[in-house]
Amino acid sequence: MATRVAFENSNEIGVFAALTNGYCLTGINRSENFYSVFESELAAHIPVVHATVAGCRFVGRTTVGNRRGLLVPNTATDQELAHLRNSLPDSVVVQRVEERLSALGNIVVCNDHVALVHPDVDRETEDVISDVLGVEVFRQIVGGQALVGSYCKFSNTGGMVHPRTTVEDIEELSSLLQVPLVAGTVNRGSDVLGGGLIVNDWSAFVGLDTTSTEISVIENIFRLSGNAGGGGQGQQSNIVTNMRSSLIDQLS
Amino acid sequence: SPQAATSKSPTAITMTDVETSIQPGAIAGGTAATILCCICAAPISPNPSNTCSSCLASRSDVTRGISTEATLHQCRGCSRWHQDAGKWIGCDLESRELMALCLANVSGLKKRKNEGSAGRVRLVDAAWVWTEPHSMRLKVRLTVQREVEAGGTILQQSFVVTFVVRNQQCVECQAAFRQGSWKSLVQVRQRVGHKRTFLYLEQLVLKHGAHRGCLSIETFKDGMDFYFPDKGKAARFISFLEDVVPMKVKSSKKLIGTDDKSNVSNYKYTNLVEICTLCKDDLLFLPKKLARHIGNISRLVLVRNISNVIHVIDPLTGQTGNIESDAYWRDPFRPVVTAARTRLTRYVILGKDPVYLERNVSKRGVNRKQRSKLALITAARESDLGSNDSQLEERSHLGYLMKSGDVCLGYDLRDCQMVDDEAEEARNGGKFPDMVLVRKLYGGVAVGEADAAKKRVFRLQRLDIKTGEEEQKSGRGKKGKKDVEMENLDEEDFMQELEADRDMRTRVNIYKSDIAVSKENKEGEDGSDKNEDEEDDDQKITLDELLDNLVLDSKPDAEDGAILGETSLDGGQGMMFVGEGERAAKDSIGYIGRDEALNIEVRDTAIPVADNIWGKEFLEKNGKFT
Repeated sequence: MATRVAFENSNEIGVFAALTNGYCLTGINRSENFYSVFESELAAHIPVVHATVAGCRFVGRTTVGNRRGLLVPNTATDQELAHLRNSLPDSVVVQRVEERLSALGNIVVCNDHVALVHPDVDRETEDVISDVLGVEVFRQIVGGQALVGSYCKFSNTGGMVHPRTTVEDIEELSSLLQVPLVAGTVNRGSDVLGGGLIVNDWSAFVGLDTTSTEISVIENIFRLSGNAGGGGQGQQSNIVTNMRSSLIDQLS
Repeated sequence: SPQAATSKSPTAITMTDVETSIQPGAIAGGTAATILCCICAAPISPNPSNTCSSCLASRSDVTRGISTEATLHQCRGCSRWHQDAGKWIGCDLESRELMALCLANVSGLKKRKNEGSAGRVRLVDAAWVWTEPHSMRLKVRLTVQREVEAGGTILQQSFVVTFVVRNQQCVECQAAFRQGSWKSLVQVRQRVGHKRTFLYLEQLVLKHGAHRGCLSIETFKDGMDFYFPDKGKAARFISFLEDVVPMKVKSSKKLIGTDDKSNVSNYKYTNLVEICTLCKDDLLFLPKKLARHIGNISRLVLVRNISNVIHVIDPLTGQTGNIESDAYWRDPFRPVVTAARTRLTRYVILGKDPVYLERNVSKRGVNRKQRSKLALITAARESDLGSNDSQLEERSHLGYLMKSGDVCLGYDLRDCQMVDDEAEEARNGGKFPDMVLVRKLYGGVAVGEADAAKKRVFRLQRLDIKTGEEEQKSGRGKKGKKDVEMENLDEEDFMQELEADRDMRTRVNIYKSDIAVSKENKEGEDGSDKNEDEEDDDQKITLDELLDNLVLDSKPDAEDGAILGETSLDGGQGMMFVGEGERAAKDSIGYIGRDEALNIEVRDTAIPVADNIWGKEFLEKNGKFT
C-alpha cells in the first residue's frame, strides 16, 4: 500500500527516511507530521526511530541497511551511533563504515539477499557490507548511472529502475538480482527513485507529487496491492497482463 | 580502475565487464524501455519529463505571461505609428519596422530578472496574419520556445497576438491643428506697386526649400508673412533672405506669459524684413555720389539683376556696377521709372550695327564680354511702325541679342514722367537717350498672339499661400477685375523676365509644360534645323534647361504636407493597391493569407522539441564518479 507523504513541503522523502523490513529511520523535523505518518503505518509492526547522522536530517541517504544490519558513515557521531544501537532491536547490527564516499544511501542499494554498490567503493567496504548485511554484493551501474542508490530501488519482491535504462540492462539486472524489475518514475516523472520512494516488503511511501499512474506501477511491481489474499492476487495478475509490455517477465 | 583489476570477490562484477556492457551512447544502442506516462499511463519512451506529449502540452503553458492583446497608436493625420515618448515612425503595413514595433509591445517576451532560466522564452518565428481592412486590428502569429519544469524539455507553441490600433494625434499634427501656435513671424515687405519681386522670391524659396518648417504663408498688398513655430527656424529663413535680396531687418517681441517663480518668459517674435524698392529692369537715376562711388558709372542706369547686391548696367556703354545693400539703405532712392507693364513700350528692331569701344586696360575687372556686346540699334515703336516713319537709333547693351524683326520692350524716355527734378533737368538738357531697351520678347508674346501666355514652353511651381486678413477684408468687395488684372500683369512680366535672362533661370526651378513635352516628342522627327538660327541669342530658353518632374496635379509642397496640415495619404489601412502579403514577402516575413487566417487558432498545442539528450554528462564520464 503506497502512501503519499511530504517532508516539510519537499517530495524527496527518500532523503529523509530509510525503511527496511525490520525498522524505520526518520530525520528530525520541527513538526512531527512526517514521523507520525510512518508511525501510524508502521509502528504496530516495526520500530520507527528518530535519528540524525552527523547532526544532519538526511538519514535516508547516508545510511543503508536491511533487516540484519545498518551501516552508517564515518561522519556519524558516537552519540548517534549509541542512540541507534539503543533504539533498534538487538537483531540489527549497527556498524560504522570507513569509506571515502560517505553517502551510503546513494552508493549502495540492497534488500535482504543481494546488494548493488557503486563501482568505486573500497574493497573493505564491500566486505563489511557483505558481512554485516549478509548479502551478495555486486558492483554495477544502473542504466548509465553510477549512483545506484539514487536511481534504483528494490525490495525482496520487486524493484524499479530509472526510466532511461535500456531493456537489455533491465533484463540483465533482473537476472542478477532475481527480482522482477520495471523502469518507472516517481514524483511526477522524476528519475530519482532513491529520493522519491522508500519501500519494504509490505509498504511503500512516495512523495506527495506522485501521480496515480506511478503509484499503480509501484504497487504492482512491489506487490503491494491493498487487498489481501486471492482477490488481490487476481487483481494483480489482471494488471500484470495488461501492463505486460512494461514489465520484465520474471514472476515465477 | 585498479580496484576492479584486483577485486577477487567471487560474485563481484568487475569494472571491465561493466565497461564492455555499457558504452557511452548505450541508450542509443540499446532498446529504450517503455514507461508509462506519469499522468495518463500511456506507454511512452522516456523523455526528460517522463510524460507523454499531450499531457505535457496540456499541463504546461508555454505562453504564460505573454500578453495576447496589446494596443498600438497611430496618428490619423500622418498615419505614423507611435513608438515611444513622442517618437513616431512611418512604416508600411506588413513591413519589418512595424513588426519590430509590434514585438516591442508584446509584454512577456523579454527575460525578467527574477525568473531564472525557466522564465526565459525564445522567439522562434513571427508572421503576419491577414486582418480585415478598416478593422483597426493587426494580428501577428508568434512561435515561442520555453524550457518547462526543471527537466530540460523544451516546448514550442504558436499563438496569435492581436493589436488594437487606436488613433492618437502626433506632436506635429497637433501643432499644425492648433491655432495660433506660431512663435516667430517674418514679415517681408516691399513698398512697390507690383509683385514681381515676390514672385521671384517665391521661386527661390521653392528651389531652396527655405520655407520648410514654416507653418503657413500669407500674402498682403505689400508683401508676405511667414509663420514659424520657433525662433531658430525664423532666423534661418531670414539669413536665407539676406543672401538673395537686399534687405534690412527689424525685430521685436511681444510678451505672452511669464512665470515669476522660474523666471521663464514666453514671447512671440516678429521680424520685419524690408526689401529695397529697386527691382529688376528698373531705370534709375543715381545720386551723384553713389554713381561716382561705383566706378564713375553714368547716372542713368538700368537694374540688371537683384541679389544681395544690386547689379546695375549703363545701357549706353555697357558698364556694370554693384550697389551694396547698406549703401542703398543709407540713402534710399526710388527708381525713376519702374518697369511696370504700362510704362514699357514695344519696339521692333530694324537693324543693328556693332559698336567698338576703346578698352580701358586698367579696368580689367569689368566683364569684357558685356562691353563688347554693345550694338547700335535702329528700332521703331510698334505703334509707329505702320503709321509713320519715325525711327530711333540708340546704343543698347542688349544689342547683341537682336536681329532685325525682333520685338523688344523698352522705355520711351521722351514721353514718360520723371520723379526726380534733377532727372527732369538732365532730360531737358538732352543728356538722356530717347530709348532704353530692357528686354527681348520671345515666342508668341513677341508676335502678339492672343493666347501666347498659355503657350509657353515652361511653367513654374507655386507655393501654397493664403491671402492675408487685410487683403481679404478689403478685397472682398474690391477684388474685382482690377486686382486680378494687376496680378496677371505681374505674373506675365515675371515670365517674360525669366524668358529673357539666363542667369535668373539658373536660380530658379523651371519645369516643362505640356507643350514642351509634346515638342520634345516632335523634336526627334524634325531634326536639328533650329540650331542654326539662334547662335547669337544665348539668353533664349532652351528645352534642356527645363526640369520635367513637376506633377501638374499635385498640390504644391506635397512633401511638406504633413507640416502644413495637408496630406494625401490614406488612413493606416488604405494600402489596397499593394497586394496583400507583398510587403511582407519583400521583407521576408511570413504572411498568413485571408483564407488561412479564418481557420487559424488563437493558441496551438505545444509540441516538445527534440533537442537535448538527457544524462549526457554521465554518459560521457562513463559512469565514473569523478
